[in-house]
Amino acid sequence: MLDFNLVWAEMLAWFESVGDQFYKNFIYQDRWRLYMEGLGNTLLIAAGAAVLGIILGIIIALMRLSKSRLLNGIASFYVNLIRGTPIVLQLLIMYFIVMMSYRGPAAVVAILTFGLNSGAYVSEMVRGGILAVDKGQTEAGRSLGLSAGATMRLIVLPQMFKITLPSLLNEFIMLLKETAVVGYIGLRDLTKAGDQVRGITYSPYMPLLVVAAIYLLIVTLLTYIFGRIERKVRESDLR
Amino acid sequence: MIFVEELHKKFGDNHVLRGVNQHIKKGEKVVVIGPSGSGKSTFLRCLNLLETPDSGKIIFEGKDITEKGVDINLIRRRMGMVFQQFNLFPHKSVIENITLAPVHLKMMTKEQAEKRAMELLDRVGLTEKANAYPASLSGGQKQRIAIVRALAMNPDVMLFDEPTSALDPEMVGEVLDVMKDLAREGMTMVVVTHEMGFAREVGDRVLFMDEGLVVEEGTPEQIFGNPQNRRTQDFLSKLL
Repeated sequence: MLDFNLVWAEMLAWFESVGDQFYKNFIYQDRWRLYMEGLGNTLLIAAGAAVLGIILGIIIALMRLSKSRLLNGIASFYVNLIRGTPIVLQLLIMYFIVMMSYRGPAAVVAILTFGLNSGAYVSEMVRGGILAVDKGQTEAGRSLGLSAGATMRLIVLPQMFKITLPSLLNEFIMLLKETAVVGYIGLRDLTKAGDQVRGITYSPYMPLLVVAAIYLLIVTLLTYIFGRIERKVRESDLR
Repeated sequence: MIFVEELHKKFGDNHVLRGVNQHIKKGEKVVVIGPSGSGKSTFLRCLNLLETPDSGKIIFEGKDITEKGVDINLIRRRMGMVFQQFNLFPHKSVIENITLAPVHLKMMTKEQAEKRAMELLDRVGLTEKANAYPASLSGGQKQRIAIVRALAMNPDVMLFDEPTSALDPEMVGEVLDVMKDLAREGMTMVVVTHEMGFAREVGDRVLFMDEGLVVEEGTPEQIFGNPQNRRTQDFLSKLL
């Protein structure tokens, strides 16, 4: 026979402990501020790196598609270098070697590192996207007297974005989560904030699981927003 | 208007043009026919340097456009081109397709270009499609818009690369009608086509190409009525 009183008591105790845990990990000493600050850093670094990554990605892709062997070689070397080493190591090298004399906010180092890293991956998506745009589009642009650059900018790149959008979303989601390693250079992002609170309170459950839930929520939201953008962009395809 | 001298073009080992010589006069309608692989499209695409010739000269309005230092973009503004696959810009509406180049190249203001685009659309009977996107149009409509897009630049010559070959049969007529109108207005035209009826009706001169050379040329009456060359005879007999 199940003792309902006992179950009830246990549930109460659990809820009490949850309340207690919540208090300890979020309310006491305004600890929620740590998470907020961390979330802010995570979003800032991811967004900054995404913008940098797309600009850089387009430049590298155009270099790889150019007829110049030199540009092509530089771009290929760069992509290989970035893809061939771990991001955490790149971050450490950037912080402790390349920018050792830099004294500004560490977030700038993180944005640069992740931007440079993302650019290498984005360049491959962009290159594929450009190649997927029908050659007739370029010919039509050029036959109207547009320069190669104008044809690329006005005609090919907009169509490339449409093709590449789903993989760009994927890249941005990866980027957002990869920034979780910025704790290595002393930055407090969302993950670091959760880990620090865990260290103070000695209770891992609340901080880590809530941080995980926040990531999940953001990614879900991003997926939804990008889905909307994609549908909007595809409107010109509708019959 | 266009002089072509000893034009050669190779794709790897494939010698596509083996010395083409032509003089296209102002207002002339030149129709290029021939079997596939004869080099007729390559010849046309060399005229506005979409293909770079390996040797030979193309003199357009007194200027050799194959020389280094020639701004080909300025030359191309005066040569409209219409493609087999239409090549409308799918991310732009019809009116944007038409006004993009003249506005970007600062040849017209946006208002002027849109006014001109609407006049041209009216001529091909497609004003109501101005804000539509290419995906919503039929092949015939797309090609008429593509012709309008080229005309919006006020070119001196129009190049047509098999403009009806990708169309369903019932749409060929509407595109040919637009081209006939254009011919009547005195536009200089070079047309690569398989439409022998059009060649006969509109062409001032028909070029028969085979294996990278203009094998025979003459009025439509001469070429279709009394072809002299064996290969011309063979080609035309297969069509009938």
